[in-house]
Amino acid sequence: MPWPPSRSSPPSRAALRRDQSPHWPDNTDPEGPFSLSRRHFLAALAVPVIAGTGACGRPSQTTPYVAVDFRLPRRSTMGLFPAADYSVDFADLITRGFRELGVNVAGKRVLLKPNMVEYEPGTAINTHPLVVAGAAVACRRAGAADVVVAEGPGHRRDVEYLITSNGLYEQLKEHQLRFVDLNHDDVHEVALRSWFTGMRSLALPVELARADFIISMPKLKTHHWAGMTCSMKNLFGVLPGAVYGWPKNILHVRGIPNSILDLNTTVRPSLSIVDAVTAMEGDGPIMGKPRALGFVAIGTDFPAVDATCARIIGLDPQKIEYLARAGEFLGNIDDSKIEQRGERPSRYATQFEVIKALEGLRLSS
Amino acid sequence: MDSRLTPAAIRAALLAARNPDGGWPYYPQHASRLEPTVWALLALARDANRPAEIDVVVRWPGKDGWLVDGPADAPVNYPFNALAALACIDRPDRPGATQLVTTIAKQLVDVKGLALQQNDAQRQNNALQAWPWIDQTFSWVEPTAWCTLFLKKIKTLAIPGAAERIATAERVIRDRVCHDGGWNYGSSNVYGQELYPYVPTTAITLLAMQDERADPAVVKSLKYLEANVTSERSSVALSLSAICFAVYGLPIDAIGRALAGPAELSRVRENVLGLAMSLYALSENTHAMAAFTL
Repeated sequence: MPWPPSRSSPPSRAALRRDQSPHWPDNTDPEGPFSLSRRHFLAALAVPVIAGTGACGRPSQTTPYVAVDFRLPRRSTMGLFPAADYSVDFADLITRGFRELGVNVAGKRVLLKPNMVEYEPGTAINTHPLVVAGAAVACRRAGAADVVVAEGPGHRRDVEYLITSNGLYEQLKEHQLRFVDLNHDDVHEVALRSWFTGMRSLALPVELARADFIISMPKLKTHHWAGMTCSMKNLFGVLPGAVYGWPKNILHVRGIPNSILDLNTTVRPSLSIVDAVTAMEGDGPIMGKPRALGFVAIGTDFPAVDATCARIIGLDPQKIEYLARAGEFLGNIDDSKIEQRGERPSRYATQFEVIKALEGLRLSS
Repeated sequence: MDSRLTPAAIRAALLAARNPDGGWPYYPQHASRLEPTVWALLALARDANRPAEIDVVVRWPGKDGWLVDGPADAPVNYPFNALAALACIDRPDRPGATQLVTTIAKQLVDVKGLALQQNDAQRQNNALQAWPWIDQTFSWVEPTAWCTLFLKKIKTLAIPGAAERIATAERVIRDRVCHDGGWNYGSSNVYGQELYPYVPTTAITLLAMQDERADPAVVKSLKYLEANVTSERSSVALSLSAICFAVYGLPIDAIGRALAGPAELSRVRENVLGLAMSLYALSENTHAMAAFTL
């Protein structure tokens, strides 16, 4: 059956991993829409001696993460692969991407994490089910030991409705794929590997821990709070709604850029496959307009993938807060350090419509 | 196996999904969780026309007077506590049930979502504080609806402060209603765009507002639900709509037919929450939706 979620024994209390990271003081006194103010965020960073250590494991005055845990690659490689519409054979396209980028999933338990928030006909809110199915087939062809599709929608908690209405259910059935509802999966406490949010741990779905190769599969969209949603923001969907509620507001209150960083440092996904065949411009991530772009982006360096996608839609990665911070320790956002396979970004370069509040994020002419 | 969502088939699936600790998971062979456990207890009891076996709820792991769902460090989920207490209201015969109801009620009165500064992006009153899902977050519609319904159900207990909290919650519910009726997770308009309402959230919120039927927000939301009730063909959406319609005295035959339609069960067999809600909704003739009726 495609619908049943994972079948595993409930974890024992003893098996729950206890958080060992230092405590970060509560400082939630938001001044903007759902988020910590810059002032409070900086105040939080002013006490990092208890929160992080710097190079060589020594206490740091500046980084809310252990610097030696993260190493910027000298160069990053990613690919842009043409897909004019959704009639393309995505299994072939993604197989080509694996080959060109040297992606190896043989023997791995792969978790595909699409972006599904809610569904309305005629919109481009969700990762297209055919791209998800194509990735699953490509992983199986490449020798993956197991492939599962998993998501915890951020607005809708009724996944039965969501996956049947958006067409994913038919693909799960056709390809005999398991779907795991991350909102309602078993959870365990996981220590965060960075503390931008000021949180020390999160309860996360156990299915994430079972996977040894997590593929983020976002839909490229503008995002009216974060600027853009792509590989990294897509990880909001791993937070279990049954624990934290909908719309996973703790991530907003603690600051969306901060939360993006903490989730990415902690979950450490292996690969990004971006559905930019039809993207979303304007008032994304829900109310924007579909915009044909015609490619799938694939890469292992998430900041590099997101930065490239940002430039393609006319946004400056250095002006998108989560990307600017990620570029300091998680991956490359500098164009000169990103080697492109497949098509050149200039082939797709355009200017997305953005809401007025995001006009300042545009690339300088 | 029967592919129709009949009460007998659901009952069998629900009983098979029960964990040895007496609770139910969201999906079989997972850990017991509060929300599906409460729904399963209500559904199985009412299906058999007897009181719910609430002992598993009363002895649920707790901390500081709250029922804790998930790891010990997980935040307290306020609406699921309200739902659990709701199931215990009519069971003074069970040891601990009355204390659980009053303890959770008194504590819920003191729980408030964060008050945020007003901003231009959202068409809503951010100063209003109803209920959040968890501590240190904003007020949202579903938790506000469940907590409101619970406190309204126990009005006779005269919990200090409850009346004021209910009044504020109703203001929040009116404030967040979508332009053409219905509610979503909690924002009806962002950056000038009217956001979409959801069927399940609308049904839950209408249950919380069942004693305010002339309220314009209720009137237009009921119209929205009537027009869209079978547009979201899932066990959860259809079941909550059926419960809501029955409480409002509207016919539920069409919803029942959609709920029990062929091939539905194969899709939801593993969705314990959907199964439990479906069984409760399909057993209306035995309980008249009493657990959710004021």
